[in-house]
Amino acid sequence: MSDRGPVSERGLGAREDVDLLLATQEGVVVESAPKAEPQTPMEWMRQNLFSGWVNALITLASAAFVVFVFYQAARFLLVSAEWEIVRRFLRGYMVGSFPVEELWRVWTCVFLVGALAGLSAGSSRNRLPWPARRIVFGLVVLALAVAFLIFAVKTPLVWGLITAVAVEIIVFRQIGLTLGYQRLRRPLLWGWALSFPVVIIIVRFIGDGVAPRFWEGFFFNIIAATVGIFASFPIGILLALGRRSSLPAVRFFCVGFIEIFRGVPLVAWLVFSKYVVDLLLPPQVDLPDIIKALVAMTLFSSAYIAEIVRGGLQGIDRGQYEAGRALGLSTPRLLGLVILPQALRSTIPAMISHFISLFKDTSLFTAIDVTELLSAARRSSNALEFQGHSMETLLFASLIFWIVAFSMARWSQRLELRLGIGER
Amino acid sequence: MAQTEQNTEQTGTSTDEIIIATDVRKWFGDFQALRGISTVVRRGEVVVIVGPSGSGKSTFIRTINRLERHDEGRIIVDGIEMTDDIRNISQIRSEIGIVFQSFNLFPHLTVLQNLTLAPRNVRHWNRAKSEEKARQLLDRVGIPEQADKFPAQLSGGQQQRVAIARALAMEPRIMLFDEPTSALDPEMIKEVLDVMKELATSGMTIVAVSHEIGFAREVGDRVLFFDEGVIVEEAEPERFFNDPQHDRTKLFLSQIL
Ligand SMILES: Nc1ncnc2c1ncn2[C@@H]1O[C@H](COP(=O)(O)OP(=O)(O)OP(=O)(O)O)[C@@H](O)[C@H]1O
Ligand SMILES: [Mg+2]
Repeated sequence: MSDRGPVSERGLGAREDVDLLLATQEGVVVESAPKAEPQTPMEWMRQNLFSGWVNALITLASAAFVVFVFYQAARFLLVSAEWEIVRRFLRGYMVGSFPVEELWRVWTCVFLVGALAGLSAGSSRNRLPWPARRIVFGLVVLALAVAFLIFAVKTPLVWGLITAVAVEIIVFRQIGLTLGYQRLRRPLLWGWALSFPVVIIIVRFIGDGVAPRFWEGFFFNIIAATVGIFASFPIGILLALGRRSSLPAVRFFCVGFIEIFRGVPLVAWLVFSKYVVDLLLPPQVDLPDIIKALVAMTLFSSAYIAEIVRGGLQGIDRGQYEAGRALGLSTPRLLGLVILPQALRSTIPAMISHFISLFKDTSLFTAIDVTELLSAARRSSNALEFQGHSMETLLFASLIFWIVAFSMARWSQRLELRLGIGER
Repeated sequence: MAQTEQNTEQTGTSTDEIIIATDVRKWFGDFQALRGISTVVRRGEVVVIVGPSGSGKSTFIRTINRLERHDEGRIIVDGIEMTDDIRNISQIRSEIGIVFQSFNLFPHLTVLQNLTLAPRNVRHWNRAKSEEKARQLLDRVGIPEQADKFPAQLSGGQQQRVAIARALAMEPRIMLFDEPTSALDPEMIKEVLDVMKELATSGMTIVAVSHEIGFAREVGDRVLFFDEGVIVEEAEPERFFNDPQHDRTKLFLSQIL
């Protein structure tokens, strides 16, 4: 075992070399043009922002512009905006015309997901340290959220429920921390996988249930995005594999499917779905229009996923297939255990990016008269006493979309970090 | 031809001839890579293949476990003929280990998982059994302490030893090597060759493409010299290196010695 050390050690050695190189170069620079050693903020500003009169002018102009924009934004947000409209229609934004006496179903789902989220957060293997900047940022966000809730939430019952969810998440996070990643990995995987069917059962099938046409507001966006993401993922992978199949018929079908679904705008598919899905199903089956549109969105999304996965597959070395086959792995096992885990890993950024746009695209369901969050927001500003306040409602709806999209992006970063361990 | 027929009749585990290649031909498009290769490898024999680049060494060795399908001729491995309608191709492949020039370890799995993947999913061993076997093999190739690392964290020599252990984990009857040391830095070649020598002396049937003369002389039973898709010369190592018969062999040896 007279081996060289592992690659990481050698890597360090190499970096030292580079440092040395830089050091010598700097040394030369210092000799020829010695820098003023201590630098006060004033000096830094003079050197970087006001070094000549053109530079100074640009600095002043940009500063004036930034101040102006901030002033206008702040004035609108704090003075001229009529936030009462958000307060009035908050429930409409969240769940639309979901029957009030059935809202316990939605809250049950929120508690379910809250527990899973808490456990996941607690057991996460690479807990990032919290630097001061992040703590300050977190506190500001928390303060804003609380301020908003104090303003917008009217009934004690809702207050109680929100507090309960917050407490629940904290408690389950602690449980996650104590149990740890190893013990929770499998249960959590199952939990998340089962959560969606369970949510649908709670909403639709317990007792009389609530029909899909009442699934409205933000609740609808979440359900639609979840369906789209989870259903299109496996279909997309199959399409990508089919596209590389050695059977011409399979290849042809997959390429045709992908190109047809990708080439037509999603809105068109949502509207078509009403008629197209009926052509494919026997006449006895009578699906609600929303479900048909969800099917259309899923197929649309899977065409994109197929192309993302194809990119990932192209990056896999031929040697990986040969090594797997030489060991006697059957094709499904070779793909499932060797090829796809590597191919999918490299597609995470593109995949999450696609999921984020799919989530935002759920607002297109307004084209088939679903009152999802964005259309609920726009409709609310038609109320007589709030005429001319559509800006506020749109801003609010956008903020909610942004929060979810941003969280997905952050989650993707963590996922990349966690899965990046074995790579290269 | 009649003789080959007989060979197939006699097959069974009792026969001593574990690989029988008869007039194997292979085309890549218009280009003929193998122009009639015939040879027989006996159980426990160590056969070393040498030859210039592009002479078909890799192609031939890969037809033995059907990573490459041959167009004409016959290949019979341990009594089973390699044809298109082999239903249990996986079964046969798992009897033949192969080690590649470029290691081809699975980068997303730890060393231990690399070794247990096939035993668990092809042989259907349970976790305990496959891990025990894997640790034994890591011990045998001299890197028991690397079990939980990822391939990228190992040196080239260590990676190739893991690749050998991964092939051995399936308990193959034949081991194929395709230039296992030519991607390695000189100081790592020895550690891999040592493992291969130990394997050879333990009675494993080995077919190795390798230009490591020392290895061929020390443990080789026979050397095959490939050129332009045919076996030009075939002899036991001492004679092959000291007293080559053909001009092409002499020329080749003068270049690599
Ligand atoms: N997949 C392929 N498609 C087309 N031609 C191929 C393919 N594989 C090999 N060849 C050609 O077949 C010939 C023999 O290739 P092979 O890899 O067997 O040579 P080799 O003896 O192993 O050479 P080296 O020492 O360079 O590895 C070469 O001319 C090569 O270009
Ligand atoms: Mg080769």
